[in-house]
Amino acid sequence: MHPLDFAIIVGYLVLITLVGLRLSGRVNTAHDFFLAGRSLTWWVIGLSIIGTNIGANSYVGAAGNAFSVGIAQANFEWIGAIPAMILAALVFIPLYWKAGVYSIPEYLGLRYNQAVRVVAALITSIVAVFAIGVALWALALTLQTYLGWPIWVGIMVTGTVVGLYSIAGGLAAVAFTDTLQVCIMFVGGLVIVGLGIAETGGFAGFATTLTEENPNHLQAYLPADHESFPWPGVILGLGVVLSPAYWCAGQAILQRTLGARTQWDASAGMMFAAFAKTFVPLLVVFPGLLALVMHAEIEYPDMALPWVIKNVLPPGISGLMFIAIIAALQSTIDSGINSTSLMVTRDIRHVLFKQADPADDLKVGRILTLVLLLLAMCVAPVVAEMGGIYTFIQTVLSLFQGPMLALLLLGAFTRSVTPSAGLWTLISGVAVASAILLGGVNMLYVAFASFVYSLAALWLFSRFTTHNDNIDLDKLTYSPWRRS
Amino acid sequence: MDFGDMPVAWANYISIGGFLLLALLVWLIPRKLIYTGATDHARWRDIRIWATVLITLQLFIYALFD
Repeated sequence: MHPLDFAIIVGYLVLITLVGLRLSGRVNTAHDFFLAGRSLTWWVIGLSIIGTNIGANSYVGAAGNAFSVGIAQANFEWIGAIPAMILAALVFIPLYWKAGVYSIPEYLGLRYNQAVRVVAALITSIVAVFAIGVALWALALTLQTYLGWPIWVGIMVTGTVVGLYSIAGGLAAVAFTDTLQVCIMFVGGLVIVGLGIAETGGFAGFATTLTEENPNHLQAYLPADHESFPWPGVILGLGVVLSPAYWCAGQAILQRTLGARTQWDASAGMMFAAFAKTFVPLLVVFPGLLALVMHAEIEYPDMALPWVIKNVLPPGISGLMFIAIIAALQSTIDSGINSTSLMVTRDIRHVLFKQADPADDLKVGRILTLVLLLLAMCVAPVVAEMGGIYTFIQTVLSLFQGPMLALLLLGAFTRSVTPSAGLWTLISGVAVASAILLGGVNMLYVAFASFVYSLAALWLFSRFTTHNDNIDLDKLTYSPWRRS
Repeated sequence: MDFGDMPVAWANYISIGGFLLLALLVWLIPRKLIYTGATDHARWRDIRIWATVLITLQLFIYALFD
């Protein structure tokens, strides 16, 4: 590694730790720790959302997929994100603010019952620990590739840096470091685009070479019988179910909007994130296409990005791009541990242990952040060695998304769904999704089918179960046109 | 027609139609709700305008990569 690259990397790690620790003085209560004392402005929220969203799979996996299938990979950033982000900004964020909640499971608990709250928090938390483990492993692997550090050293260093600022500074530190990290990602990504375009003879040369050799690589959608990304599956499964479930109900994403200075900042932050998201393919899809145009000789598609970093970028800039990858993974890890700590502290602990004192939330939250990070550090090598576990856990989360979205939509837009119908729909919806998946159906169609089932089941079960008159429907449903 | 034979162009038409519908729905949201919590009522703070610009960008993208 060039000394300039090494200096940039060390400088980044020191800077990110200092910025995080600097914000620790602001944390005096659990409200400060989990919701940044409701102080975040719209642009910090927007960039932090993008930092949380771009993870291990985004950088390496998306570039690899783009190498194989072309621009269709960008659907995960466009049709698979933008409509849901607009919905979140204009409908769900105002709703959560009106409800005055700390978390999405808390909203479901108020709208349905505490059992739904605990189930939602538990499943999300378990998946999050494994996801953080995977991100830690990917980061350690990157450090090993570029710096030659042993995997365990990479995990320890990352855990220590992220742990220091996350435990000390809470959501504010997480959000501000995310903001810095996203700026680095965009600078690194745009440099790749600029140098790549120049190397391949300008935009026209790039597009001509790409489409001459790969005629379908600039098509947004793939054929309906495509094995992995059939277009009906992308629109129905990703666009209609998985994306709204992620952007309107994902705790790690939405937590920074609940920590906004005002409701307007929260909504504007999500909308700003959607603008940034539109350009994320430049960072994560373009390198894959560039490797293809430059006829990269790589063994498998996921090596597209490392190939571009090694062959296109000069010293100093390759260190910057390396930092961008570290930043993407770190921002996923810090957001994951902070939001999971919140759900365990409040949504699980407060419900299951009635004697739990809310005054202890800050202390408990910090301890849990440390415990969750240590747990993820222990899980990291196991997940990597037994990749099937992570795939299994991800599949469980996907099975949960259809029913979860149905509960959220009917809970938010109608006044007729009942608490027990919510719980039974959640349980039976996951069972139905599992049964369809076992039939060998593409995951995108499973998500859509389980969502349709859950909508019907929730409506039907609500006909035969009793309403809870204590639920404040005016506060918990979205009804801006309703006369008070 | 077999399910797998549905033309890819339909996907672009559906996406563009969906975005146009969303652009209409956005403007059904009352103005006062959009400004809740805002320090002033400046025109640039109307995030329905942000949403419309964003949707226009998406329309351009899906028309371009058809």
